[in-house]
Amino acid sequence: MSRHLSGFRAWMWQRASAIYLAGFLVYTLGYLIVAPPLDHQALKSWLGGSGMWLATALFFLALLLHAWIGVRDVILDYIGPAGLRLGILAAVFLFLLVCGLWVLSILMGVL
Amino acid sequence: MEFQIYRFNPDIDQEPYIQSFTVEVERGMMLRDVLLEIKRRDESFAFRHSCGEGVCGSDGVNVNGKNQLACITPVADYTDDPVVIRPLPGRPVIRDLVVDMSDFYHQYHAVDPWLKRKDPVPEQENLQTPEQRARLDGLWECILCGCCSTSCPSFWWNPQKFLGPQALLSSWRFLADSRDQAEDERLNDLDGPYKVFRCHTIMNCVDACPKHLNPTRAIGHIRNLMLKKSV
Repeated sequence: MSRHLSGFRAWMWQRASAIYLAGFLVYTLGYLIVAPPLDHQALKSWLGGSGMWLATALFFLALLLHAWIGVRDVILDYIGPAGLRLGILAAVFLFLLVCGLWVLSILMGVL
Repeated sequence: MEFQIYRFNPDIDQEPYIQSFTVEVERGMMLRDVLLEIKRRDESFAFRHSCGEGVCGSDGVNVNGKNQLACITPVADYTDDPVVIRPLPGRPVIRDLVVDMSDFYHQYHAVDPWLKRKDPVPEQENLQTPEQRARLDGLWECILCGCCSTSCPSFWWNPQKFLGPQALLSSWRFLADSRDQAEDERLNDLDGPYKVFRCHTIMNCVDACPKHLNPTRAIGHIRNLMLKKSV
């Protein structure tokens, strides 16, 4: 089996992250429907709780990983020329990295 | 009944074109009979065929957008004129309905479609239980007609790297065989971004297989075995 994030490992991580994303979304949406925070302070303290903060951070990590593997799969399928493929992969990676840093700064602000 | 046939002779034609033929359909006629009738009228028309009974897998063609074996497809299945017959999609056309299947055979060969033994070969039979033998049903029947792989978009995009549904079905046929002793070697060969994991479960292969086999399920078994081996 490969040690890199390709082939079987990528496939497994994509599915594992999908399960986590689905579970987190069901829990979060359920919580927001059943017991919605009434104001911004309540929402902030809910997200700032150590369990929820960690779960949310993991959610975005899983989302970025899932998106990277999925978009990379599409690029592998459709973009043939090596230079163009590398350029698009780099652009997607940079975009996801910026998104990740943005999420991180928001999450740090909640703490 | 009107049949519209894809024609292209690279020695003469600048580009492919569709030619119409009206053929009188008789009871029990198969599409191969129609192609033979067209061949009788126009000897320059080229298509592959051999056994005429769905065993050799030579006469795979695309009929009204779906890959079929012409010899076992009754003309009576088509009620609306015209019936459009094209070569198997995604393959370079050599002439008319004859396509270059080199990539397809190369991928089949790449999965080592034969039993590999580490123990000495038994002097007599290599026995299997009825259950072990039953695992091969739905796998050994493949006739390599290419209807599945040439209907697979992933194979269209990467025919030199993605094994395609046919080769993966064959790969599982040997992975599932109790007499084969090269499971780790086979799984290692299958790993990587292209060989198995270009399959996105589109399932055109299942729809196209004239033998009603299920390559998607076989690919699922391969992935499950990889998962089992990795934990």
